[in-house]
Amino acid sequence: MTAPAGIVLSGLTKTFHGRGKSVTALRDVSLICPPGSFTALIGPSGCGKSTVLRASLGLEPLDAGKVEIGGQAPERATAAGITGVAFQDAGLLPWRSVTRNIALPLEVLGRDVGPAAGRIRDLIALVGLTGYGDALPGELSGGMRQRVAIARALVSEPRVLFLDEPFGALDQILRRQMNIELQRIWAETGVTTLLVTHGIDEAVFLADRVAVMQAEPGRIVDVVDIDLPRPRETALFSAPHFHELCDRIAGVLHGA
Amino acid sequence: MALDLSRWLPPVLLPPVLLLAAWEVLGRFDLVASGALPALSEILIRLWVDRADYPAHVTATLLASGAGFVIGNLLAVLAGLVFVMSPVAERLSRGVNIAIFALPPIAIAPILTLTLEGMTPRIVLAALGVYFVTMQATVTGLTQYDTRAADVVRAYGGGRGAVLRLVRLRGAVPAILSGFRVAAPNAVLGAILAEFGGGGRFGLGAYLLGSLGRGEPDRLWGIGLVATIIAGLSYAVFALISRRMLGASISLSLNPAAAPQVPMGAASPLLGLGAILMPFAVWWALLWAMQVPDMLGKTPWAVVDYLFLADTAPAARAKLLAALAETLPITLAGMAAGLAFAFALAVAGRLTPAFTRAFLPIALVTQTMPLVALTPLLVLLLGRGTAVTLWITISVTFFPAYVMIAQGIAQVPRAALELPRAYGATGWRELRLVTLPASLPWLFAAVKLTAPRALLGVMIAEWLATGRGLGNLLNQSRGYLDFGMIWTVAAVSVILSVALYLVAQGIERTVLRRMGMIRQN
Repeated sequence: MTAPAGIVLSGLTKTFHGRGKSVTALRDVSLICPPGSFTALIGPSGCGKSTVLRASLGLEPLDAGKVEIGGQAPERATAAGITGVAFQDAGLLPWRSVTRNIALPLEVLGRDVGPAAGRIRDLIALVGLTGYGDALPGELSGGMRQRVAIARALVSEPRVLFLDEPFGALDQILRRQMNIELQRIWAETGVTTLLVTHGIDEAVFLADRVAVMQAEPGRIVDVVDIDLPRPRETALFSAPHFHELCDRIAGVLHGA
Repeated sequence: MALDLSRWLPPVLLPPVLLLAAWEVLGRFDLVASGALPALSEILIRLWVDRADYPAHVTATLLASGAGFVIGNLLAVLAGLVFVMSPVAERLSRGVNIAIFALPPIAIAPILTLTLEGMTPRIVLAALGVYFVTMQATVTGLTQYDTRAADVVRAYGGGRGAVLRLVRLRGAVPAILSGFRVAAPNAVLGAILAEFGGGGRFGLGAYLLGSLGRGEPDRLWGIGLVATIIAGLSYAVFALISRRMLGASISLSLNPAAAPQVPMGAASPLLGLGAILMPFAVWWALLWAMQVPDMLGKTPWAVVDYLFLADTAPAARAKLLAALAETLPITLAGMAAGLAFAFALAVAGRLTPAFTRAFLPIALVTQTMPLVALTPLLVLLLGRGTAVTLWITISVTFFPAYVMIAQGIAQVPRAALELPRAYGATGWRELRLVTLPASLPWLFAAVKLTAPRALLGVMIAEWLATGRGLGNLLNQSRGYLDFGMIWTVAAVSVILSVALYLVAQGIERTVLRRMGMIRQN
């Protein structure tokens, strides 16, 4: 694995112009994710957290501000394949098998898929889908599709991983399972990760630091360090210190 | 009786079987129009007697429609791609597209046979019949892609080309296939119409034309039956192919992209003007490119000259206006009657779903029956008066409208239907609160779809049966070799058809906007 790269967001500002009304989606959002760190971005619906992530990938033009991934502009970083991404909806192509869906980023990047066959097999195993390589997305459950999306995000051997509520549509039990798996994958690959979520427990469980956003205008109001030891396990969900941290973030979220 | 039968037959087959039995009895005893409706067995026997005639005719029709199908679809898919990638090209071509959609094939059949040779007119008419359907399906398919999958491609630096190649093209395949399915019978109908309007020895249309004067209803019915079967089979083949090809790869939740919006601004009125002028430019360019002699091929300007400037212009105008005065009222009346009937029946069918299930297959079969083959049969049944025109217009508007509205009502979400029920509403109240408003957009879609067909039906009836109106003027001018009038009638009927379509669209937009249910098309 190549060395992880950091993410530097400085002064992101973005206004959406609707009919007769403008919404300041982001105002002066700055955040630094050091190489190899796990950062969670949390906030209420419509606070602009997904916009931060899309802008970091160069998918959303900004009015002002700058994104640097490993010292590069996002367009260059994504085209170089140092980023990986998974969205809330898996966004799989229904006519491609699991294996070929995972290979999609390689094709977009213009890389050879053949030599990657072994790695794709490993990734399928990593997300616990061994034996499903030839299955079509329509034959999988929602949770399995989401795991395919995670495997796809890792296929280009990214140095930076962007996750936009990847488990948002899953039920609580499956979600915790996926959280543990994600922690393991992060630990094994050491990839710098930025996770957008609206689940406080998920953010605290996974992240080194939690950045809390608020809406109208979308801005970061606090960054909370999570000093829980790793590896973190399921028992943590009922630990008192875990709840203390959750309560503290909830307090910031609700403006206390 | 019916109760006994239902023990032997699946209920779906019951209505068609009863219908066929009634047909046999009516025909056997010459009960309808003194023998104009032969019994089914008599038609089949006649088919067997004529069996040596059919292969040559069927082959000619299949060749022409097949070639037209391939060419028309190739152009349509290419055009769809261009329109999706360039909104400006789409906007500019809108006039041409609507004209191709709305043009009554019968109106341009004489022009095609005058200016083109051999099989070409048939192929062109068949291609024109498939173009719009497939182009529209391609645009829809390419536009409604999963934006999240596209985001994934873009997140790895993929541009518009990569998104098109990896996500949109393959995603459009089901829509394009369904376009092929609907277009296939159109190709057959177009070829038969050109055969009918253009002479030539072989082809089902030519066979029909040759058999018209001989007073043999059983043969006419036989030709109609064969034409219907070919058209129906072409639909079935593509229905089967798309079911085979799609299989497991459909489903999944989709986050469809919105239809592409043409950037509004200073350029827009200019584009609109361009869209209006484009069909005329294409008309001019085709004449020029094919080196059609001035005597045969009339440019837009020559038509204006013929109607307004030449010495004979007042006489020509008088003839044209008299024909329009005959054609227009009956077109509108037949359309209104057909649509009202279809709407009432579809809404009633909502209350009695069993009836819809039984009726829909029959409605679909009649839809594949070529109009030119149907008209002589209706003449046999109804004579040559106004009634036959009215019936043809009703039948061409009723069935597509019924199918469309019934399918629209079937798409109303269950939850929306059950909500009034959950509060104890009766069937009628639920109908008024949910079904009627929900089916309105489909009624308008049906109006847009059927307006050009109504004009086509009236013109065919006038040409073949009643000897009045635009259809007759076209047929007469063909006999007199009055090329100015042939081009004029063709141009006027296309413009009229487009006007009917645009009026329907205008009313649709106004009403739906007021109801807050504007639909993407």
